[in-house]
Amino acid sequence: MLAYIIRRVFQSIVVLLVVGLVAFAMFRFVGDPIEQLLGQERTVQDVERLREALGLNDPFPVQYFDFLVRAVQGDFGISYRQSRPVAEIILERAPATLELALVSGLLALVVGIALGVFTAIRRDGWAANAIMSASLIGVSLPTFLIGILLIYVFGVQLRWLPTFGRGDVVDLGWWTTGFLTPSGLKSLILPSITLGLFQMTLIMRLVRSEMLEVLRQDYIRFARARGLSAKSVNFRHALKNTMVPVITVTGLQLGAIIAFAIITETVFQWPGVGLLFINAVQFVDIPVMAAYLMLISVMFVLINLIVDILYVWVDPRLRIDGRH
Amino acid sequence: MRPILTAALVAAALPAGAAELRFASTTDPNTLDPNAGNSAPVFSLLGNVYEGLVRRGRDMSIEPALATSWEPIGDGEGWRFNLREGVTFHGGQSFDADDVIFSYERASSEQSDTSSWFAPVSEVIKVDDYTVDIMTSAPNPIFPDSIANWMMMDAGWAAENGAERPNIEQGNYATTNTNGTGPYMITERQPGLRTVLEAYDGWWGEDRGNVERAIFQPVQNSATAVAALLSGELDLIEPVPVQDANRVESAEGVDVLRGIEARVIMLGFPHDAEGLIAGGEGNPFTDPRVRQAVAQAINVPAILQTVMRGSAEPVAQLMGAGMRGYTQGLERPAYDQEAARALLAEAGYPDGFRFSLKCPNDRYLNDEAVCTAINAMLAQVGLEPVLETMPVANYWPTLRADDHDMYLLGWSPGTFDAEHPIRFLLATPDEEARLGSWNFGGYSNPRIDELLPMIQSEIDDTARQAMLDEVAQIQLDDVAYVPLYVQPLIWGVKEGIEVVQRPDNFLVLRWIEMG
Repeated sequence: MLAYIIRRVFQSIVVLLVVGLVAFAMFRFVGDPIEQLLGQERTVQDVERLREALGLNDPFPVQYFDFLVRAVQGDFGISYRQSRPVAEIILERAPATLELALVSGLLALVVGIALGVFTAIRRDGWAANAIMSASLIGVSLPTFLIGILLIYVFGVQLRWLPTFGRGDVVDLGWWTTGFLTPSGLKSLILPSITLGLFQMTLIMRLVRSEMLEVLRQDYIRFARARGLSAKSVNFRHALKNTMVPVITVTGLQLGAIIAFAIITETVFQWPGVGLLFINAVQFVDIPVMAAYLMLISVMFVLINLIVDILYVWVDPRLRIDGRH
Repeated sequence: MRPILTAALVAAALPAGAAELRFASTTDPNTLDPNAGNSAPVFSLLGNVYEGLVRRGRDMSIEPALATSWEPIGDGEGWRFNLREGVTFHGGQSFDADDVIFSYERASSEQSDTSSWFAPVSEVIKVDDYTVDIMTSAPNPIFPDSIANWMMMDAGWAAENGAERPNIEQGNYATTNTNGTGPYMITERQPGLRTVLEAYDGWWGEDRGNVERAIFQPVQNSATAVAALLSGELDLIEPVPVQDANRVESAEGVDVLRGIEARVIMLGFPHDAEGLIAGGEGNPFTDPRVRQAVAQAINVPAILQTVMRGSAEPVAQLMGAGMRGYTQGLERPAYDQEAARALLAEAGYPDGFRFSLKCPNDRYLNDEAVCTAINAMLAQVGLEPVLETMPVANYWPTLRADDHDMYLLGWSPGTFDAEHPIRFLLATPDEEARLGSWNFGGYSNPRIDELLPMIQSEIDDTARQAMLDEVAQIQLDDVAYVPLYVQPLIWGVKEGIEVVQRPDNFLVLRWIEMG
């Protein structure tokens, strides 16, 4: 077991290093940061001085190595665009993204499971059919369009909800939260629906098909034959057994929600790390891009690592294979 | 736990008649240090906070600011500036000649992004506490025009906070903090999110509207900004996308303001290239008849009608009307496909030729659509352009690497004077002399090179204008560039707000009156 975990951790580190290398090899194709940093009246001397000071004259493997050496010490460099430490900027922006991801994830999970169960139990009812058809919209419409649509309906036409931003936030010192003010909560509604809609329909469809599968099993029929109430059969016996794949998928999707918040954050001007990343790409802010990509890959690698370890823990056969 | 006050609460607490403005633009200034970023977003915001010796008025003319008057010294050896007395910085320090000397040293230092403004300056001398002489190595009639964005900083404040020099790459105290003499102070700064300005009661000037507090938020996506304006969450946005302007105009409670920016959009040619990157042997663009054919093949009014929805003006020189040194009476070559074909045949290319046309797709208003239209128009006279568009982050490196044939360029003269585009776009490129740094095509004309230093040092306005007219005529006849149009400015405002739109796209808060 220990040997397996050590091997998996080692593999994860290799994956991270490769991701970083690919990222650094790509950065020069994004453009030249000097063009963004200096104005049109710059001189050749200014350009050369800055290029040297930023280490842009070094070949990319050297730049990458420097980045790694500093990153393991917790120093992600200084943002070209904001002239401030990248770590500070990311810590400032992370709460916005994490709160949005949390609300979207919960929304997707709760509504997804509820609708999934409903459409499975009433599978021929008109309501269930309507929900199933509507869910196709969630799967097929691009996030960008859903966001703009919601803004126009609820922000511009009805004026119920704010069109952009995070509203008023409360500063707890190490974390800023929008959960404690009315405008912060109102601001969360549209972006979290936009971000969570795809996951919601995914979970709903997954729960429904798993549920239909389980409802056909013999033990459900026996449970019914024993005279148990429909509620007990559906929720205690059937739903419980559909949850294993749902939890796996949800875990993996949480990573996706955080990583793909970029589009939602851009549409709603949500001040999270996704928006920060988009700005960094446009400005060729290499330290911010590097830190963001590394953090996102660390996150994905960690999630996968935990899932792998859980599998081993759950399934003894993998442990035996691991010894070969 | 420290709740951040809501905007609504604070607005309610403002004195009667005082107003709060919530405004948005696509770009957040990347620094608050007036010497660490030489770009419109930076100067637009900081122009409300810091002040220069001179400033631009509503009609863009130079008027006194921290200097009350100025006059040339002797026979053009420099300029004497008489400073305003009794001016205090936001931090309470008083302003005097020492601050001017310090600001000069800072702005012209090696670490500064504004050092090129001071290339003509040989020395700055403190005559007394309120008089400063700025000596130039040659007579420089437009020096006062070139320093409207040179902002005065307090020497003591900078020294106390370790910000004596700008630091573009690492940042310092002045990157996120300000201490100017202007009508507004920055009281809150969250880079990329929110910047709050509040009126400075100790300002020396009189001419100000009723904006007591202004909140700036960058909103990157124009559709989101338009929605926020329509829903009443923002009072002013810039820009409104060209294609949304009519819709915003017809909406209730909001207005669209249209103006003309100082930026001229033009096409450039590969004058000094041996061959074309997308073509065969030789470089047909060295023949002025070919360049003339390109100029006549492009239907600028049609582009403006379709792509810009009628909100831009055609132009025949490298700058728009209203700038200093503008040449009167020039006509763009008429749109004439037959003439263009005839010129091509005469030059020996009756069947046209292949070349690349490079364009940015996120730099100018609708730049990609404009290039697509130009591409089609050139094809109609038998040319074979290969259009390639890219983000601006890649575009400038591509042009600098000479990886282009024809290209699109926009130019906004920082000094609002005709000398500026000549120095940057028409002069033969020379790194040492800091000339022609944006002349990517390597255009070279001995007469223009001869005239430029004479224009720079001519004190007599009539003689100077005659030389500027000559350069404009040479550029038109020789088709060094094909100037197309002056870019429009389209702002969206809540009804009842009076705003002055400056051609440099600066937002001057003290000129705003909210109803």
